Amino acid sequence: MSFKPDRMNTKERMKALFEGRALDRVPLYPFLLGFCARNVGHPIQVMYDAPAKSFDAQQRTLDQYGFDWGPMYGYASYGTWEFGGEIKMPTGGFEQAPMHTVFPVESEEDVERLRLPDVKTAGSLPRAMEFSRLQETAPTPVTVVLGGPFTIAGNVCSVEKVCRWMLKKPELVHRILQMAADHIVDVVTYWSQTFGAQRVFPQIWEPSASNDILSPKQFERFVFPRLLESSMKILGLGINHMLYHICGEQNKNLSLWAQVPMGAPGICSFGQEVDIGAAIDHVGTSSIIAGNISPSALQSGSPETVYDLCKDALLKGLKAPRGFMLMPGCEVPPSTPPHNVYVMRKAIDDFGRYE
Amino acid sequence: MVPEQRKKEILDGIRNAVVQYDEDQCVSWCMTSLQEGLDAYETTMKGLAAGMDTVGELYTRQEYFVPELLLCSDALYAGLNILRPHIRPDHAASKGKLLLGVVEGDIHDIGKNLVKTMFEASGWQVVDLGKDVKLDRFVEEQKKIKADLVGLSALMTTSMMAIEKAVAMLKAADPGVKVLVGGAPLNSEIAANFGADGYAEDAVSAVQEAGRMIKKQPV
Repeated sequence: MSFKPDRMNTKERMKALFEGRALDRVPLYPFLLGFCARNVGHPIQVMYDAPAKSFDAQQRTLDQYGFDWGPMYGYASYGTWEFGGEIKMPTGGFEQAPMHTVFPVESEEDVERLRLPDVKTAGSLPRAMEFSRLQETAPTPVTVVLGGPFTIAGNVCSVEKVCRWMLKKPELVHRILQMAADHIVDVVTYWSQTFGAQRVFPQIWEPSASNDILSPKQFERFVFPRLLESSMKILGLGINHMLYHICGEQNKNLSLWAQVPMGAPGICSFGQEVDIGAAIDHVGTSSIIAGNISPSALQSGSPETVYDLCKDALLKGLKAPRGFMLMPGCEVPPSTPPHNVYVMRKAIDDFGRYE
Repeated sequence: MVPEQRKKEILDGIRNAVVQYDEDQCVSWCMTSLQEGLDAYETTMKGLAAGMDTVGELYTRQEYFVPELLLCSDALYAGLNILRPHIRPDHAASKGKLLLGVVEGDIHDIGKNLVKTMFEASGWQVVDLGKDVKLDRFVEEQKKIKADLVGLSALMTTSMMAIEKAVAMLKAADPGVKVLVGGAPLNSEIAANFGADGYAEDAVSAVQEAGRMIKKQPV
C-alpha cells in the first residue's frame, strides 16, 4: 500500500522538529532491535555482539518500514557488565536482549569496593563505540544508550537489593546511585570528546524508577537529584538534545520528570502506562513527546487494535507544543507480526499529518 | 492459658512488626508467643498473616511500594521460621498448593517472589521453581505434585510468549489443570487468549483470584 507523498524527507523532518519549525507529518521513531535481526535473517544476539551487522540490520529494517531515525546500540540491562558483573547474550527462543547473570555487587562490602568503570574498555562500551563510529559515517545521529541512575543501580546489585537498602541502608543506595550518575556523565563525556558534543545524542533509559517499583517520594529522594545532576552536567558539555525513555508506570513521577532538563528541546519517551495527553501536560512545553504504543499490543494485538492505539496517540500528540513522535512504548518484541509495525506508519499517514 | 489481653498484645505486636517491616521485633514477638504458650498456627494466621493482609491493603492504596513489600516479606519469613516448627500437623494442611515460577527467557522475579509471600501468608503451600524456568519443568513438576494451581509470570514482552506455550503444555498433560498468570506485559485479555484460567495484576490480587479459581473447581 502506498502512502501520501511527504513534503519533507526524514532529514528535513527531524531538523524541523528539533528547530521548532512546522513539519509535514508526525515522525515515526524506532525502538526495535531483535526484530531487525529476524527481519534480515540474523540471530538476535548479533544486535549486541556484532556492531556492523547490528547497524546494517537496523538500517535496512528502518528504511523498509519508513522510520525517521537511525540505528542505535543498547539494552536495558546496561551497567551489570560495565561495573564488573556478567551478562548472557540472548540465545533462547523467548529472549530478546542481554540479561545479567552475575551482579557486580552482592554484599555491602562490595559497594565500598565498587569503582567507576574505564569507559574505553568496560563491558559493552567498546562495542557501543564501534557502533557509534558507524553512525558517524552513515550519517545518522550518534547515540549512546545508557541506563538511568536507578536502572543502572538495579543492574549493579539487583533491584530487590536496591529496594531493601533504600529503607535499611540508604547510604549504600546513595553511593551506588552517585556512581551510576557519575558513570553516565563519564560515558557521555567520552562520546563528546570523540565525536563532538553537537553530534552526540545520549539516550537514558530509566524504566526501573517507575511507580511499579518506587513511590513518588522514593523517586524524589533517591533518583531525582541524580537525574538533575547528570542531566545538567551532560548539557553542560554542549550536548543539545537528550532522550529519556521512561516506560512503565510513571504517572506519579511526572511533575518531577518535568523538572529534569533534557535539552532544547529534549525527547521524553513514554510507555503505554502514561497517556500522551498527560505526558504533554507535564513535559510537553520543554520536550518532544514520544510514545506510547504498547509492545504487547504490537506483538499480540490485531492490526485494528494497533491502528486504534496509534490513532489515539496521534490525535493527542498533534497538539504537543514541542512536537510528537509516534514510537513503541518499549522495544518491539522480535516476534511482532511485521504488519503491526507497518500499521504504525499507516496510522501516521491517516492521522498524523500537520498539513 | 494465656490471658486474652496478653494474647492480643502479642498478636498486635507481631502484626505491627510485619507492617512496620521490623524483622527483629517480629522475631522477638514470635518467640514470646511460643514461650507464653500461644498456639503457633493461630499466631501465624492472626499475627503474621493478618499483618501481611494490612500490607496488601497499603500496597493497593499505594501507600506502600515494592521496597516496603520486600521488607515486610522479610519480617514475615523471619517470624514464620520461628513458628513453623511448632505448628501442629493437624493445622499444617494448607488452603491449597501453588506451583510457581518465572518462565523461560525471563530473569525478573521480584513480582513472583511477592506472589509467593502473599500466598504463603494466606496459608497456601508454594512450590517455587524460581526464574528462567524451562517449560518442560513446569509440566514435570505438576505431574509430580499435582498442585491446585500453577502460577506463571513474565516481565518481558518476548518472554511473555513462553507463558502461552507453557499453558498449552500444561493443559495437554492435564486438561484439568488451573493456570494463573501475571506480569507487566499481560492483561486479562492476553491471559484469556493464552488459555490461562486466571489473571492477576499484582501479588495482592493474585491471592484473591486464586481463591476464586479454586472455588470454581468442580467438587
